[in-house]
Amino acid sequence: MATFIQLIVDGLSTGSVYAAIALALVLVHQATGLINFAQGGMAVLAAYSAWWLLSRGVPLVLAISASVLLSFAFGAVVERWLMRRFERGDPDTAVVVTIGLLTLITGVCGWLFTYNNQQFPSLFSLDAVTFLGVSVSQRSIGTTVVIVVVMLLLQALFAGTKLGLALRAVAINPQSAAFSGLPVERLLMVGWGLAAALGAIAGALVAPQLTLTPGMLDNALVYALAAVILGGLSSPIGVVVAAWMIGVLENLAAVYVPLIGYDLKVAVPFILIFVVLVVRPQGLFGRKTVVRV
Amino acid sequence: MSRHFRSRKALVIAVASTLALTFAGCSREGGGDGATGAAASPGITDTTVRLGISTPLSGSTAGPGTCTVAGVKAYFGAKNAAGGVAFGDGKTRTVEIEALDDGYDPQRAKANYDSLKDDVFAMTAGLGTPTNRAWREAAIADEVPQVLVMTGDPLFSDTQESPWQLGFVPIYQNEGEAFGKLLVASGAPHKVAILSQNDDYGAGYVEGFKSAVEGAANIEIVDELTYEATDTSVDAQITQLSASGADVIFNAMSLVPLVVSALQKAQQLNWLPSWFLPSNTSSPGAVVEPGGGAAFPGIYSVSFAKAPASPAFAGDEDVQTYLAALKEHGDYPDAPAFPHCQWSWMVGATLEQAFTTMTEPTRDDFMRALRSIENFEAPLMLPGTAVTTTESGQPAVPTVVVQKYNGKGYDTVESLG
Repeated sequence: MATFIQLIVDGLSTGSVYAAIALALVLVHQATGLINFAQGGMAVLAAYSAWWLLSRGVPLVLAISASVLLSFAFGAVVERWLMRRFERGDPDTAVVVTIGLLTLITGVCGWLFTYNNQQFPSLFSLDAVTFLGVSVSQRSIGTTVVIVVVMLLLQALFAGTKLGLALRAVAINPQSAAFSGLPVERLLMVGWGLAAALGAIAGALVAPQLTLTPGMLDNALVYALAAVILGGLSSPIGVVVAAWMIGVLENLAAVYVPLIGYDLKVAVPFILIFVVLVVRPQGLFGRKTVVRV
Repeated sequence: MSRHFRSRKALVIAVASTLALTFAGCSREGGGDGATGAAASPGITDTTVRLGISTPLSGSTAGPGTCTVAGVKAYFGAKNAAGGVAFGDGKTRTVEIEALDDGYDPQRAKANYDSLKDDVFAMTAGLGTPTNRAWREAAIADEVPQVLVMTGDPLFSDTQESPWQLGFVPIYQNEGEAFGKLLVASGAPHKVAILSQNDDYGAGYVEGFKSAVEGAANIEIVDELTYEATDTSVDAQITQLSASGADVIFNAMSLVPLVVSALQKAQQLNWLPSWFLPSNTSSPGAVVEPGGGAAFPGIYSVSFAKAPASPAFAGDEDVQTYLAALKEHGDYPDAPAFPHCQWSWMVGATLEQAFTTMTEPTRDDFMRALRSIENFEAPLMLPGTAVTTTESGQPAVPTVVVQKYNGKGYDTVESLG
């Protein structure tokens, strides 16, 4: 029984890593209608900037805060000077551009900081807390708490604020949004900036565990995309729940379903996606997109 | 229509430039020198010899990959600065090294080989099993030496199967076996948990380990799990293994971040077994320290190279020469984080050993010379290990010694505990 609960707790903390990236993906999608494949790469770049500041003697909290601000600016700049050219055209082109951006950022990180694994200090201690025979590191708890807070903030942003409403309006129909007086271009920049800032937080949370390398989030991105599809592109709460589900189910399937084992557990989220998409194409928590003809 | 025309034009330009490059390559080769006679192989003149390396310089394996170039470059950089290497045919040559990045991608490795093969005398030192395998057959067909490569795959050390190849580092089985023997020799009863990578690498280690503990009454394997090289976490595996009650974990894992998090996870679960790590993921600075290895009764690994970070070798003359050369000639200003830097330095010394007994400037004679080295103690080698290339089925370094983490580096041990 203790092993069973431990596996669930382990799954939740792995799932939180996926959730961090998934939230940034949702934010960009809500604000611009795109899936940004470079989200993970931008988070890695942010983590490197924090790491660089640390190596110059800047305290950890300040370094991470600075990287969040820098990332906001970087996200806005990428939108203004790169993505802007593709937003009006075919969305497929824009998505391919983000994949190109991912490759480019990974290469630049490798060139600047080498591909060696760099140690990134954690905001939270690794000491374990034990209750009911289950041990959880403070780092896992801290990561999970931050993710939940960010998730609630995002939910509140989209559902309860004028900015959130404006971002959504711009994403759904930029033309009508412009006609009703919204500063569409600035809102797009803000959307990308916020997503990049969120990515920076995600990068700082997971870098201590995965150790900082240019490709640190490549595998996590695949799981994050699975969580986004599973939870629904429009729901921050949905993707976090989906990411946790993926983490937990993966572990349980590996241990308790002999046929799956550790070799096939990677398939679990994708089987889940398949089933969910057949039954509920908008994702578990997503809203149906209705297009008027 | 105009689009069609443009792409045709582009094709013509592409073909023309390829041809031009090919001719340029030919003329460079022909322009070497005629003095050595018609028998000289490509890539060698009376004054220079050129070696090629295809290795990962970008991507997740770039850390060790960069080292495989740095060591050998440093070794020959220092030799060149001192005038060059005296070959067995009486000529002194400087050694040039051309390294290309394959990003651990087999296709790029093959392309690198194709672009280097007519230009270099021999290919050497490159890291990676799938990448070296990608052009092994081509190298055999072209009769190009692919020697002292950094792979633990036994295929490269089989003289029948691989007449133009020779692996440098101990094969995976050598490492697993060395640790298994130590456990058996301890005499005390041990329960062993195994966590290995689900590929030839993990399987090779486990095979070697099992062959050593087979039939030993004091060793029981209580649980055996695998993980995929693409996994981001092995927390669930560690949780499951911790419930097995094992007091030893045989952890054949090649990914640095996963080893670090496995060590941390076990501590959180308060499971503190003796821990075995492969030579390529047991770096004190990059793995054991960040993983908090001091908490365990023992972190064991195998090695054949002196660790420059270890206080035991701080004053060692070999180590100091090596570190200075690495900075000056190897484009590697930092302290080496991976043992591959040291291995690559030894590759340089082993190649020099072969060069000094070569009597003709041909690839054939080079292979003969390379395959007749016995008990050569290359610089940086640990006592008890040596380069021996005369035995088929074994790599150039067939022996390893088991070592235990001492808080800073590793010490050779004769028994567990």
